[in-house]
Amino acid sequence: MASGVAVNPDCLEQFSDLKLKKKYKYIVFTLNADNTEIVVGKTSTSTDYEDFIKELPETECRWAVYDLEFEKEGAGKRNKIVFYSWAPDDAKIKAKMVFASSKDALRRSLVGIHLEIQGTDFSEIAHEAVLDKAQRGH
Amino acid sequence: MVNYGGDEVSALVIDIGTSSVRAGYAGDDTPKAVIPTSYGYHRTAPDADSAMQDVTEDPMNNPGTPKIAKMHMGQYGPTVWREGMEVANPMVEGLVNDFGPVAALMRHAVVDVMRCNPSDHPILVTEPAWNTPANRERMAEIMFEEFQVPAFYIANTGVLNAFAAGKGSALVIDVGHTMASVTPVVDGFVLRKGLAYSPLPQYVHAHARHLLVNPTPHRRGIDLFPHQLIANKLPVDAGAPPRFALREDRVPKTTQSWRAWSEAREVDEWIQSVAGVLETGWNDQAAASRPPKQYEFPTGYISYFGPERYSVGEQFFLHAPQMMSSNSHLPKTMTALISESLRACDPELRQVIMGNVVLTGGGSLFAGFGDRLSAELSRNFPHVKIHSPGNPVERRYGGWLGGSVLGSLGTFHQLWISKEEWAEHGKAIVGQRCK
Repeated sequence: MASGVAVNPDCLEQFSDLKLKKKYKYIVFTLNADNTEIVVGKTSTSTDYEDFIKELPETECRWAVYDLEFEKEGAGKRNKIVFYSWAPDDAKIKAKMVFASSKDALRRSLVGIHLEIQGTDFSEIAHEAVLDKAQRGH
Repeated sequence: MVNYGGDEVSALVIDIGTSSVRAGYAGDDTPKAVIPTSYGYHRTAPDADSAMQDVTEDPMNNPGTPKIAKMHMGQYGPTVWREGMEVANPMVEGLVNDFGPVAALMRHAVVDVMRCNPSDHPILVTEPAWNTPANRERMAEIMFEEFQVPAFYIANTGVLNAFAAGKGSALVIDVGHTMASVTPVVDGFVLRKGLAYSPLPQYVHAHARHLLVNPTPHRRGIDLFPHQLIANKLPVDAGAPPRFALREDRVPKTTQSWRAWSEAREVDEWIQSVAGVLETGWNDQAAASRPPKQYEFPTGYISYFGPERYSVGEQFFLHAPQMMSSNSHLPKTMTALISESLRACDPELRQVIMGNVVLTGGGSLFAGFGDRLSAELSRNFPHVKIHSPGNPVERRYGGWLGGSVLGSLGTFHQLWISKEEWAEHGKAIVGQRCK
């Protein structure tokens, strides 16, 4: 089941800039004011993970992609693109509903995601938690 | 395709459960009409319906149920005692079993309580994950042919509950009035093979009833007369035999089905105020150390309930071995349902959904249920996280609320089945569109 919300083409352009040109470190996506379209909320080149966490509000939902860089034991540096669905428990039920039911539209249009994180509190999206999941993956 | 702009679509949402039918406007945060799903009826019209105010319907003219002469629904439905009135419930194991009364109940909720004309509003109906294709097609047929709705959609309560908690993937644990179910939802779709459900709450109810009506060494068997059958009563001390008089004018004219329904209500009431479950698992000492709770029955009988009130909740999680051996058809416990459901999911997915457990349904408000569930799960899984709405309204009407938000979205309306599409494609479109 899906909400029928559309994805603004800008989302895809920015994403491919992140993926291919490494222009950004992360992108935060959100819904436009009348809940009809997924749009880019913010792009950034900051390499500080904490800056990224600050972009995710405590009581509102967001999606994000983050270009995660880590050392794989004995195999050097790796990059993985991580997709975040951010829906804190304290968000409004309407927002949670719309974001959850629209996620698929965005997720499917972004090709090249290695890992998906469903986050409801900051512990689930903490750098170590995400890194741990990324390293466990193949 | 039509471009739907804003969110003003004036859709209605109907969520049908075994205990109540919830109906309201999409976009609202609570259903406008909540009416009991059980209804009263007379086989033949009574001569005079004397002192009763009848806020009820036309006689049912459905050929499938010819015996019903008059239905009594809603606020003045089964709760009002009437001479010779039978009580029935159209749901069996959470599914609609008898569509005649269900159509009448929906009409009552929408037309009489909400004062809406269904032909003016798109209607979204919810269904449990184990609903049958025939059932949902029949529902669509009633909506389009009988109610003349302009558009219709049927949505899965498991998915709605997951979405309402902000999750595309989740393990939805829904404890209702008669059914408990565990539904894995992955990216907005139900993973059918992982669906597990059983009539566990019904069994817990039966256990509580057994506990109450049978005498124990320190307590008499309790009479479950409802207040409608009691003429007067005198205050008595706790544990003393009740001193009450029955309404002899009513008792002989009361039907079996009404008695059964009203006694079940007394049991439910007792469960809701007294019964509980120990948070960490059964332990005689822990149960004995909890303060007993006092409860007064409609007869005036007062008793204190100690450890036994915790044995009721225990039935959700553990069947006593002697029960297991004497009865092989016990409904599966919550723990059994959850492990059955997880067995069907691959390990990678298991991890994701165990971190996103959504607890919902009115039955999950049972005292201590959430804590116990979390204790049971963390024993077997390292990263369990249970999300249960703290607000009891969100818990009881989770499916309705999810439908309410979805139905209010302008963009969602391109997915509704319109009247024209129904006319063109017929029943086949329901399965295609509502996945």
